[in-house]
Amino acid sequence: MAALLLLPLLAACGGGGGGVPTLNWYIGKQSGGWIENAITECNKQAGGKYKIQFQELPKRATDQREQLVRRLAANDSSIDIVGMDVIWTAEFANAKWIVPFPDSERAALTDGVLKGPVESGTYQNKLYAAPFTSNTQLLWYRKDLVAAPPPDFTWQQMIDTAAGLGKKVQIQGARAESLNVTFNALLESSGGRFLDNPEAGKNATISLEPGPTTKALAALSNFANSPVASPELNTAEEDTSRAAFEKGDSVYEINYPFIYPSAASATAVPDLQKKLGWARFPRVDANIPSRPPLGGFNLSVGSHSTHKAEAFQAIQCIRQPANQLFAAEKGGNPPTTSAVYDQLTTDQYPFKDVLRSSINDAAPRPVSPAYNDLSLALQNVIHPLNSFDPAAAAVALRKLCEQALKSEAVLS
Amino acid sequence: MTNVTDAPQIARPTAKQNKLTDRDKAERRLGIRLVLPAAIVMALVTIYPICYAIWLSLQRYNLRFPDDRKYVWFGNYTKILSSGVFWQVFTNTIAITVISVVIEFVLGLALALVMHRAIFGRNIVRTSILIPYGIITVVAAFAFRFAVSPDEGGFLFKHASTPPLSSHYGSLAVIILTEVWKTTPFMSLLLLAGLATVPNELVEAAKVDGASAWQRLLKVILPTMKSAVMVALLFRTLDAIRIFDTVYIQTKGANNTATLSQLGYNQLINQLNLGLGSAVSVLLFLLVVLIAFIFVKGFRTDLGAVRGER
Amino acid sequence: MSSQTSTVTTHSSRAGGRAGAGRPQVAPDRRRIEFKWIVLTIFIIVYALIPLAWILSLSFKSPAAVTDGKLIPTDPSLENYRTIFTTGVFVRPLINSIGITIISTVIAVALATLAAYAIARLNFPGKRLVLTAALAIAMFPPISIVGPLFNMWRSLGLYDTWPGLIIPYMTFALPMSIWVLSAFFREIPWELEQAAGVDGATPFQAFRKVIVPLAAPGVFTAAILVFFFAWNDFVFAITLTSTDRSRTVPAALNFFTGASQFQQPTGAISAAAIIVTIPIILLVLAFQRRIVAGLTAGAVKG
Repeated sequence: MAALLLLPLLAACGGGGGGVPTLNWYIGKQSGGWIENAITECNKQAGGKYKIQFQELPKRATDQREQLVRRLAANDSSIDIVGMDVIWTAEFANAKWIVPFPDSERAALTDGVLKGPVESGTYQNKLYAAPFTSNTQLLWYRKDLVAAPPPDFTWQQMIDTAAGLGKKVQIQGARAESLNVTFNALLESSGGRFLDNPEAGKNATISLEPGPTTKALAALSNFANSPVASPELNTAEEDTSRAAFEKGDSVYEINYPFIYPSAASATAVPDLQKKLGWARFPRVDANIPSRPPLGGFNLSVGSHSTHKAEAFQAIQCIRQPANQLFAAEKGGNPPTTSAVYDQLTTDQYPFKDVLRSSINDAAPRPVSPAYNDLSLALQNVIHPLNSFDPAAAAVALRKLCEQALKSEAVLS
Repeated sequence: MTNVTDAPQIARPTAKQNKLTDRDKAERRLGIRLVLPAAIVMALVTIYPICYAIWLSLQRYNLRFPDDRKYVWFGNYTKILSSGVFWQVFTNTIAITVISVVIEFVLGLALALVMHRAIFGRNIVRTSILIPYGIITVVAAFAFRFAVSPDEGGFLFKHASTPPLSSHYGSLAVIILTEVWKTTPFMSLLLLAGLATVPNELVEAAKVDGASAWQRLLKVILPTMKSAVMVALLFRTLDAIRIFDTVYIQTKGANNTATLSQLGYNQLINQLNLGLGSAVSVLLFLLVVLIAFIFVKGFRTDLGAVRGER
Repeated sequence: MSSQTSTVTTHSSRAGGRAGAGRPQVAPDRRRIEFKWIVLTIFIIVYALIPLAWILSLSFKSPAAVTDGKLIPTDPSLENYRTIFTTGVFVRPLINSIGITIISTVIAVALATLAAYAIARLNFPGKRLVLTAALAIAMFPPISIVGPLFNMWRSLGLYDTWPGLIIPYMTFALPMSIWVLSAFFREIPWELEQAAGVDGATPFQAFRKVIVPLAAPGVFTAAILVFFFAWNDFVFAITLTSTDRSRTVPAALNFFTGASQFQQPTGAISAAAIIVTIPIILLVLAFQRRIVAGLTAGAVKG
């Protein structure tokens, strides 16, 4: 039996002799081929110093995380480069699963990069994740049905306008990370936030002041209980909203820019793409500029990787502006370097100015090692969206988040 | 000399007894040696880990916060038992278990009766019902999931406003349906074997006495095969309490359909919270032990047959 | 008179031979009863096979046709099968499944055969303990040891390896194998072994030369049941593996991604599901009697 145990282990240990080190880049499957393109370009530029290999993770962010945390906790030395969702930085850094970039390389990775993404990759004043691509949600509207929203357009105005026309508004209400995206943006747009002192890392304290929290929850609750909410609201993810909007009975949609190229091939509404207008994420309070949501991919180096130096270099290459441009043009993923926006064509990205300013002003979701627990706590309290009372939920949310912050809540 | 005759109580083994004892000893040695490998494997891979799990459950230990490890004794248990989420999950598990076992029993009994009395087609029936038994649970879960999800090729509920897997009761129904479909054959085979032990004379006598089919079933057949029924119910109940595959594939616990195993999994593998997750696992283990105890001592399920003593 | 009687006798003996003991002969209703049984039989077969039929149908639909909701695909294609065998998403897990299942089966049945022989034939202290322990393990919730196993395998380097799965599979297959095998062993006539003993064979020789050939069918049955169990496992497969090195098919099915970010992998999953069900169907078709005998042997002494 001992021999039986040893044999496969020995077999697994085979391979990996001398030669060009392979860097495994773990990232979720994306459409448009921009990952493959970045890999080809950087392998060329590497000149034999290293070879990057694409290791595919599941489609959804939660599934990707499930795979990564298990392997990182098992000290997997094959994880060299991690395609990091913007919300994983604090968690992975605190667990010592990723290593910070040397200060000498920091400037190259953050110069000319928009504020939001840089914030999302920083933890306790070190850069743990280099910004690569970004994303945010815009307010899309049917130009042929409504006028362009004024700068201080609020959620309530959005609801009232749509209701007045007897039309719907598409947002994502599924019990998933997309809910946190929406709520966090609403919270920050109301002047509130989750954490008082995120720099304290593990020892941060919950903010969630009753005033702004209740306002943000009320915006969501009013929406869910209004006639403009889609019947599928409580299970709607990004693609559901897109498909529903393309059917034609909605006048507003809050979603990522991927819906723009898709609109060109929509069949229910002729020339839908030409009828699309765009604006910044709506405000909650008319006097406070909205803070749009922030998404995107950063890049980190696994702490058990045996080729850290090469991995740092590879990341420098992968995230370079040329690759960001490719990702933007072919994959619909907005760049993180400001200058790249100027290179985007107005055909493909007529909304690039709103996009750039949105990403710059975006509010990252709470930077905490216990982010996953906070995320689950939020979903626990406010889902389904038409089931809670804003004031009571604000209190419940605060309590549950305090427990979640210490990883002490039993959340399925 | 006098001593020997004065002490007749010393039972000196005769030559014949010696030979038996030697063979007995050889038999015992062989017996232990033959059983030892299996026993060692079973002990190492279950007893050791469950003790380890109990030890882990007494600590606050999260692999994402490796520096925060410390003993909290029963802290994890109080946290779990006072959590609304846990009790919802507990209720889900009990509901799924009770409903599916009841349905499986009724359908399984009907199926067993049919197989018992069918004139022809017995082979085909037995073969076809072994398919649900043998099919991988994950495959069955996907099959039913695809059948009821419009955007995954579904053909049922195509025009419902909310597909079943998006609502709490709908998802529970699909999960129970999948479980029932898959395990009714197993139940029916166990019951069929029990049916075969019911002497026909008893049934005929009841018929002669004027008992209706129902009465024959409830008052003669079922009581006579009680031990088979109890064993079948016990095994199916324990299987249902541990349900995991179907829930994971169909909802992953969404819509409040998480079961105890799913909760344990989420804590252990998603949250890497070994302390809390182990506590959930231990509670599930204790629940299983409790149910087995209730069946064996309370309903006096005779496991002697299973233990091979009869 | 006599011819009438003989006709009746012939008639009833024919019907009696088909129906088995105790079945009352009711000539005029026979056609109606037969029809009822036929309907029931068809109903049962349909019940058993409909989900499989649905998956089969989905596996032959191209990605565009997947959502058309028709039971019989209008334009069947082998695209899904081609996809899963060429994109490397299925072949390695299939190899893992086959290898891990076979090895687990061999070891589990070997250990169980030794133990079951001892339990059925020999008297030794701790016999009841072993049986009770086996029973207890069969009732064990696997999720309860997943956490400790994850941690243990992590430190021992068994995480994401074949032995890492083989060991738990073996363990949880042992109780069922021991029951099935000891039930079979109990059926074997004791005199044969005694005769061998009289001829001068030691207990072990008696075992090897007399019992093994008689026990072979039972061993075979136990092997089939263990195969089903290991082939089917999901909990251990998803928690103790993370790469294709050791991920088995049930876990891999969970990770199939569609052709693009927004496409559902329904067709691919269905095709893989069919491939992985084929061995089950073959085993069931070939050995259904054995399987039924094995399942019911341990549970009820008839």
